[in-house]
Amino acid sequence: MAKETLTEVITLAKSGSDQVAKKRSVLPWVADNGIFIFTALLIIFSAVFVNGFASLVNITDVFHRAAPIGIVAVGMTFVVISGNYLDLSVVAQVATSAVIFLAVSNQYGVPLAMLAALAAATVYALVNGIAVGYFKANAVIVTLATTYIGVGVLRFFSGGSIFFGPEDGPIRAFGTSKLGPVPYSALVLILVTIILAFVLSRTNFGFLVKSFGSNESATRLGGVNTGFVIVGAFFITALAAMIAGWVLAAFSNTAVSSMATGYDFQALAAIIVGGTSVFGGKGSVPRTLLGVVFVSVLTNILVLSNISFGYQQVALGVLIVIAVTVDALSRKAVKR
Amino acid sequence: MSETQSIQIGQRETTFLGKLRVTLARRTEGRGVVLLALILGVVSFTQPLVFTAYPVSLGRIALIGLVALGLTAVILMGELDLSVASTLAVSGVVMALIPDVRLGIIVALGAGLVIGVINAFFVAVVGINSFIATLGMLFALRGLAYILSDEAPVRLTNTDAGIAFGMPLLGPITPRVLIFILAFFALQIFVTRVKAGREFFAVGGNRQAAYDAGIPVKRRIFTGFIISGFVASLAGVINTLERTAADPRAGLTVLLASFAAAIIGGNYLKGGRGSIVGTLIGATALGVLQVALTLSGIQVPVQNIFIGVILLLAVTTDPANLRAVLGSIRSLRQGRAKAQS
Repeated sequence: MAKETLTEVITLAKSGSDQVAKKRSVLPWVADNGIFIFTALLIIFSAVFVNGFASLVNITDVFHRAAPIGIVAVGMTFVVISGNYLDLSVVAQVATSAVIFLAVSNQYGVPLAMLAALAAATVYALVNGIAVGYFKANAVIVTLATTYIGVGVLRFFSGGSIFFGPEDGPIRAFGTSKLGPVPYSALVLILVTIILAFVLSRTNFGFLVKSFGSNESATRLGGVNTGFVIVGAFFITALAAMIAGWVLAAFSNTAVSSMATGYDFQALAAIIVGGTSVFGGKGSVPRTLLGVVFVSVLTNILVLSNISFGYQQVALGVLIVIAVTVDALSRKAVKR
Repeated sequence: MSETQSIQIGQRETTFLGKLRVTLARRTEGRGVVLLALILGVVSFTQPLVFTAYPVSLGRIALIGLVALGLTAVILMGELDLSVASTLAVSGVVMALIPDVRLGIIVALGAGLVIGVINAFFVAVVGINSFIATLGMLFALRGLAYILSDEAPVRLTNTDAGIAFGMPLLGPITPRVLIFILAFFALQIFVTRVKAGREFFAVGGNRQAAYDAGIPVKRRIFTGFIISGFVASLAGVINTLERTAADPRAGLTVLLASFAAAIIGGNYLKGGRGSIVGTLIGATALGVLQVALTLSGIQVPVQNIFIGVILLLAVTTDPANLRAVLGSIRSLRQGRAKAQS
């Protein structure tokens, strides 16, 4: 009798745990792998139903627009994984880099222009990184402040004027060259992704960024100079934003202080949709690239369908909220 | 050592100076007062027009202050509402689109309440960090404002009502300033005298302890976000009435200034410490600064450099932050000293 009840209890417990396991598995699985399916479905859907999507001209255009946003997004992945939400100041950083790049290269040549942009990126990384990493200030507020400071400084020195690059020269050549349907800027995106994926998954620094994101105090108690790790994460974001600025300047051959408006938001959408957790500690660079593909294709079909800018903003905002909700609920499910 | 410390903490100060010291240590407005004194000092020499044209300054303070007041309710609980700027824009556009002014105001304020409920739902029920949830709302609502307005400023149908609204009631007190003063006293009484408001501090200071003590934490989070959404839509309505038009791009400068006002006023971002009076002091400082910069002919993007720097300083010189920084420097030094010996 006693034995039978025991087996009964065990079977009950087993079936119960099976049910729990089933309940558990859906949302986390969607959070982890949903993006692969959604991206594939979206591309198939657009190719079949959206007029003009599957043309060579349009695909090149998608690459052109995705490249700078993608470069920003893969860089910003480091800040998100470190548990610091995001870097809003990429808007100012991309514009600063583009304006400095064109303005300086017109007079002093490209190498010096690159150095000047690098100096600006370093300043951004140090201010954001030190305020967040050493002063423990909130990253959203800090980068909100540096965005406005950066755009203001840029407007002050440029006077709000538009800078044009030379009609012929290395910059213009780079911006217009293509390898098949793939513009050089998209190749830069792939190169940056490979390098940053290596940094995040194969180096000590990448490991520390993840570790800080999942458990800040444990990382600190492990003897890690956590402030330095945060400065490093912001430095990688700043370098990526700098490269995005060059690519953007080369593509459009013009630079103005308001040119990167909305990049913060689109990059964040790509990162979160890709499956990097805003709660920190979880995520990868190639996933962000996938998120960039998703967001770019989505934006492209909205534009092709003549849907206005307002609806695009709403769509991206809702997308972010849905992705974060799935992430949050899947975390709750795992905890339970 | 620890014994004497605990006795000192338990001791009651009896002398006047001692009491003053304790009161000052409890207050959080220190940095706001310093900034206000600094700005008033500099402005009275460089741009005394700010004081002669005080109705303008009062109007500016009221606009920044109103949004900052709503933010304070949320910040006290350790949350943040980034969507206020878009709430302001959306409710302004909604109001301008409805021909009847009274109905427009009611619908616009209702929109603010709904936005507050949505924000609170994502934060309290779903469990998303409020920074991210309200950031998503910031962009989604901005898009909504563009859709509703067709990406262009919307004129108010009944411009007479707008003009009447801009007239001073008594001396320099325009309806906007009056609403700000009323909102200030209402919130001040709410967080210092009403049980629900007092509970904001508990929720912000230690959420688990508040929950264990029987405080309805989720309901308080709803209260806070509804207050900030409502107050932001109130600011949107006032803005639309005064300008007799609604701009879907409105609110971005206000966002920066109102955050700076609330944080420099001593509202600790992690929650639990802060005061409505501090927000008023912060808003006064930033309002005076903005008017002084505008009167000096400085463009808005360049003005934002000053406000951005203040926000950056406010968020890094938070007393709790500074204590953590000093602590880590001290432990680093001790570690070095031990390693050397």
